[in-house]
Amino acid sequence: MFVSDFRREFYELVQSQRVLLFVASDVDALCACKILQALFQCDHVQYTLIPVSGWQELETAYLEHKEQFSYFILINCGANVDLLDILQPDEDSIFFVCDTHRPVNVVNVYNDNQVPRPWGLPLYVPSLNQSEIVEQTMKRRQRREWEARRRDILFDYEQYEYYGTSSAMVIFDLAWMMSKDLNDMLWWAIVGLTDQWVHDKITQMKYVTDIGILQRHVSRHNHRNEAKENMLSVDCTRISFEYDLRLALYQHWSLHESLCNTSYTAARFKLWSVHGQKRLQEFLADMGLPLKQVKQKFQSMDVSLKENLREMIEESANKFGMKDMRVQTFSIHFGFKHKFLASDVVFATMSLMESPERDGSGTDHFIQALDSLSRSNLDKLYLGLELAKKQLQATQQTIASCLCTNLVISQGPFLYCSLMEGTPDVVLFSKPASLSLLSRHLLKSFVCSTKNRRCKLLPLVMAAPLSVEQGTVTMVGIPPETDSSDRKNFFGRAFEKAAESTSSRTLHNHFDLSVIELKAEDRSKFLDALVSLLS
Amino acid sequence: MFCEKAMELVRELRRAPEGQLPAFNEDGLRQVLEEMKALYEQNQADVNEAKSAGRGDLIPTIKFRHCSLLRNRRCTVAYLYDRLLRIRALRWEYGSVLPNALGFHMSAEEMEWFNHYKKSLATYMRSLGGDEGLDITQDVKPPKSLYIEVRCLKDYGEFEVDDGTSVLLKKNSQHFLPRWKCEQLIRQGVLEHVLS
Repeated sequence: MFVSDFRREFYELVQSQRVLLFVASDVDALCACKILQALFQCDHVQYTLIPVSGWQELETAYLEHKEQFSYFILINCGANVDLLDILQPDEDSIFFVCDTHRPVNVVNVYNDNQVPRPWGLPLYVPSLNQSEIVEQTMKRRQRREWEARRRDILFDYEQYEYYGTSSAMVIFDLAWMMSKDLNDMLWWAIVGLTDQWVHDKITQMKYVTDIGILQRHVSRHNHRNEAKENMLSVDCTRISFEYDLRLALYQHWSLHESLCNTSYTAARFKLWSVHGQKRLQEFLADMGLPLKQVKQKFQSMDVSLKENLREMIEESANKFGMKDMRVQTFSIHFGFKHKFLASDVVFATMSLMESPERDGSGTDHFIQALDSLSRSNLDKLYLGLELAKKQLQATQQTIASCLCTNLVISQGPFLYCSLMEGTPDVVLFSKPASLSLLSRHLLKSFVCSTKNRRCKLLPLVMAAPLSVEQGTVTMVGIPPETDSSDRKNFFGRAFEKAAESTSSRTLHNHFDLSVIELKAEDRSKFLDALVSLLS
Repeated sequence: MFCEKAMELVRELRRAPEGQLPAFNEDGLRQVLEEMKALYEQNQADVNEAKSAGRGDLIPTIKFRHCSLLRNRRCTVAYLYDRLLRIRALRWEYGSVLPNALGFHMSAEEMEWFNHYKKSLATYMRSLGGDEGLDITQDVKPPKSLYIEVRCLKDYGEFEVDDGTSVLLKKNSQHFLPRWKCEQLIRQGVLEHVLS
C-alpha cells in the first residue's frame, strides 16, 4: 500500500522501535541513507545499517537478521519485484520501501499488511480485482478472457522500467515536514537528485522541476549571505544556486582535460578523430584562451580569463552547435578553499563506491563512499575526485577505441558492443553503474558519429567481462537516444524473456532489471533470442 | 660499578610506553638483592673490624657502601611502585578481567595486589548510588550523547541489547546503539566509533 502521510504512518511508527535499514549501492541511496541516519540520531532511534548490492545479498542479510527486528526499511531496492515472494517474511514484519525504481510491483501495492511505501506520487495502476471474489460470479469463458486481459494490462504496465523522484528528496521532504531539516540534509538531497541527472535516469523536465523545488529550500536556508550585517562565518556551509557549465569536475582539473572527458563535449566535437581535435583547438582559439592556460590546473588559471568564462564558453559553444552547455545546479562552499559542485560530489562518490581495488569487499567501498559524504571526511572526497578523473579518462579512451575500431555493430533491432578481456581499464567497467555510464556515453558518441539515420534511433546492449575464473560477463541494456526520450527502458523484461526461452545461465541480481550477469558461452544464443524477440 | 643493575630496572620501566606493563624482571630484581646482600655483609664485617680494631680508615668505604645500599633500595622501590601504578591503570582500562598476555607479565604478589584492589574498588562502587551501586569506570569523560554510531570492524556474532533483543554484528554493518553497551566492545576493537 502507498503511504500518504509519511510522518504519521511511517516515522511515528518506527520512532519507538529498532529498525533495520537495507541500502542499495547507488549514490542516491547513500544520500537518502545519510538524511535518514541524521533524523534517527536526532530522535535516538536505534538502527542497524546493512549495505546490499543485489537481490541475493538482500535475501541473505534478511535471513540473518529477521529474528532480531520487526521493522525493515529498504532504500532504493525492493519496489519492482514481488518482495514478499523473495523474502518470505513472518506475519509481523513490516517493510517500508523508499525506492525510485518504477513500475511498482502490483503485489507490493496491494498488500495491505506488510508493505507500506512512503511516497505520495500518484501512479497509474489499472484496476484489478482480487481473483477470489471474481471466481464465483463469472463463467469459465469470461474468466479466461478476463485473465488474458489482466495479463495484457500487467504486461503493458511492467514492460517499461523507469525512475521516479529521488529517494533522497523524498526523505528530505519528510525531514522538512517535521521541521528537522538542515543545510547538510538539503545538500544530500541535491546530490541525490544530481545523481539521477548524471545517469540520465530522469527526463530534463523532471530535473528542472525538482531543481525548482530544491531552490526554494536553498533560499530558505541560505539567505543570510545577502544581508551584510548578519553574515555567517566563512567556515559555515553555504549552498548556492549556480547556472554553471556542465563540464565534469572542471574546477578540480584543467579546463582542457574537462572538455576532453565530458561526454557532452567529447561527443559533439567528435574528439576520437583528428578532425575533432582540431575543432576543439578552434573552439579554444575562438574564445581567446591560450592553450598553455587551458592545460594547467583550473585554480591556477589567470584570473582575468576566469572572469567571464561561463558566458564566453556558452557563446562559443552555441556557435559550435552545443546549445545546452550550461545547466542549473547547486554548489557548496565551506572555508576559503573548498567548493564543490553537486556533480563533482556525485562522480567522486560513485568512483569510491565502484573502485575496482580488491583490498576490501564491496561493503568496504560502500562504507568509504558513505563517509565521503560527511563534511569532516574531505580527504576521502578528494580521493574520490582523483579516482573519478581516472574513471572519466578511461571511459573516453574506451569509447574512442570502440568507435575507431568499429566495435559497435548493429544487430537489427539494437546495437551491440562487447568489451574484450584484454582491453585496458576493462576492470573499471565490471560494476553496473560504471558500465551503464560508459554505455550511455558510448551511445551518445555513436549517434554523433554515424551517418546511418536508422542506427541513430536504436538502443544499445553492452557487454563487459566480469570474472575470468567464472567466465561471466555483465550485460547492460540502454534505451535509444532521442531528443524527447522519456527514459523508459524495456530491456529488463526483454532480458528475462530471452534468458527463459534459451535457458541461458543468467543472474538477474541487480536492482536495476536491465543489468544482468551472463555466462560467456551462452552469450551468442542469448543475443539471437533477444534479436528475434525485439524485431 | 655498584647500582648498575638497579638503574637498569628503572630504565626498563622508563622505556616502556605509558600504560604498558613489561614482564616482571625477576632476574634483575634478584641480582639487585644479591648485590645489596653482598654490600651489607661487607659493611657488617668492616664495621665490626672498625669497632674492634679501631680502623678509622675504613669509615669512608663503609659510608660509600651504605650510600649504594640506599640507592639500590630507592631504585627497587621505585620499580615496584611504578609497576603497581600501571597495574592499577589496567583495571580502569580493561575492566575486571585482564587479557591473558598481561597476566603473564605480573608476578604472583602483583596479582594478589590486583585482586585486592579490584575488591576494594568493587566495595566502594557498591556503596555509592543507593541500592545497585554506581559503576564509576564507565564514562570517565562526560559523554556528549546517549547513543553513538558505531561500525563493526570484524564479525562478532550476536550482541544483546537492553530490551532483551539482540543485534547481529557483522563486518561493515553500522549500528546506532546506547553508549554504555558499546564502550566495552570499542575498547576491545570490535566496534569503531564513527564521528560524522
